[in-house]
Order: sequence, then C-alpha cells, then structure tokens
Amino acid sequence: MTTTEASAMKKYVAVYVALLVITALQFLIGYQNVEGSKLAVRFLTFSVIETVLVVLFFMNLGSEKPVFIKFILYFMLFVLATMNYPWTDSFRLLIFRLTGYMPS
Amino acid sequence: MSEAHLTMGAHSAPPMEARPFVMPSKKFAMWLFLMSDVMTFAACGAAYLFLRTATPEWPRPFHSVTNVAVMTLIMLTSSLTMLMALGAAKVADKARAFRWMMITAAAGVIFTALHIRDWMGMMDQGVGLFKNPWGPAAFGAAFYSITGFSLMHISVGTIALIIVAIRYQGGRYNADDVELFNLLWQFIGLVWLFIVPLVYLMNVAR
Repeated sequence: MTTTEASAMKKYVAVYVALLVITALQFLIGYQNVEGSKLAVRFLTFSVIETVLVVLFFMNLGSEKPVFIKFILYFMLFVLATMNYPWTDSFRLLIFRLTGYMPS
Repeated sequence: MSEAHLTMGAHSAPPMEARPFVMPSKKFAMWLFLMSDVMTFAACGAAYLFLRTATPEWPRPFHSVTNVAVMTLIMLTSSLTMLMALGAAKVADKARAFRWMMITAAAGVIFTALHIRDWMGMMDQGVGLFKNPWGPAAFGAAFYSITGFSLMHISVGTIALIIVAIRYQGGRYNADDVELFNLLWQFIGLVWLFIVPLVYLMNVAR
C-alpha cells in the first residue's frame, strides 16, 4: 500500500466510524418517545449529515471542480425541494381527518 | 465568437466550447444517472411521508430492529470495502482490487438475504400490499415499494459488481470503471441510510 493510498484509507476509515456513530445515534433516538414530526426532523438532520460525508468523501465529490459541485448541489436541492413541497399538504388532510371537517 | 476563432474554424476543426466540468464522459453520465435516481427515491420518500403524516392511526409494528441494524452495519462496511477495492485499483494492484470487490459483493449477497428474511417476517405477520393486521392498507404498499426499490438496487448492483470485478480481472475494465461502480455502490448505501430511519425507526413499537 503506497503512502498516498494509506492516507486516503485513514480518511475513509475515519468517515466510516463517524457514519457508524451517527447511525447508532439514530437507532437510540428511534426508541425515544418523540412525536412523529419532531422525530422525522431529527432523523432527516442526521441523514443529511451522513449524505454530506458520503458524497464528499466516499464519492469523492470534494475533489471535483467547484463548478461541478455547484451543479450537483443546486440541482439536488431543487429536486428535493420540489419533490417534497406536496408533502406539507398532508398536514391539511390530517386536520380534516381528525376534526371530521369536509370542505364543501 | 472572435474573428480569429472563425478563421481557425474555416481551416481546421470547428471551434468547440471549453469543457467546464473536466471529467471523463462515462463519469459524468454516471453522475447524471445518480441524479435521476435521486428524483425517483425522493418521489417515493415524499409519497411515503405524505401518507405517514396524513394517517393518524399509522401502525408502528417494529418491535425489534436488530435485523435492520445488522443490515445497516453490513451496508456501511461494504461501502468501506468498495473503497479498498478502488484504492487498490488505482495503484494497479489487480489481485487485491478483485479480492475487495468480491468481499463487497459477498456483503451485497448477505444484505439481500437479510432483506428477504425481513420481508418474509412481515409477510408472516399478514402484511401485504393491500392489507395488514394493524389498519391502514397504505402501510404495506408504502413499506414494500420503498424497501423493494432499494432491494432491487442492491441485488442488481451486486450482480453488476461481480461482472465489473470479473471484467477488471480479465483486463477489459480499468480503474476508471471501478471508480464509476464505486459511485453507484456508495449511492445505494446512502439511500439505505435514509430508508432505515424513515421506514423502520419512525415506526418502532412503543
């Protein structure tokens, strides 16, 4: 194993350990008595941190040209935002179901 | 376009726009594929969260997530072994790269087997696409569609990895191809890191 490769491997192992710790925290949170939306926010926060680690280090996006990183980042944020905005409407449906309200 | 460019273009190859990303075409194509896959998974995730939030009596059937914890450990470890394979391929150590790729593929096979075991357990409890013992029918459809989509990626990815490893060993593929596959494998692992909390841990029985 060359020095460069050994150095890269040390970085990968460090990220791997960080991912294991974050995932273990998620399992601990899963058993806490937290309400649905708060739970989802906590889980998604941890998952976003994991995403940054995996994409930057395991997928080596950090070593690409900045213009490509920006291209990926803006595209992904746009896609995720547009895919998730209808989700908020589910709260309206939930209130309708819980209160029995039927719009005429 | 300057006059000099036009003059050059008239006598030789036409002037071309500079390549802003400066990366091999195959790698760029893989990133585009992954971006399209993000859209598919994001659509599944958004639909699931919509159903989950809008259904007050959504079931929490998972009493134990030990199987899922083991699966997650295997998936994370396989990400590391794939990077070991890539590291070896970059220094042209074919034997070591092949060995790490096969170890990664073995992890993929074990993960798939545990995933199927998980599904069998759910089916034994009476969870189907349109029915389950706990109420909302959408639970089964959401569970099987999201985890099934991930299972398909991992099982097909494992087969693809074995093909890449054999072709790399045979000299048809090089380190660049291993790097492309690494992108795909890391992405598959990343998707699983979203599925575990949203599908399993949010529905742990309390």
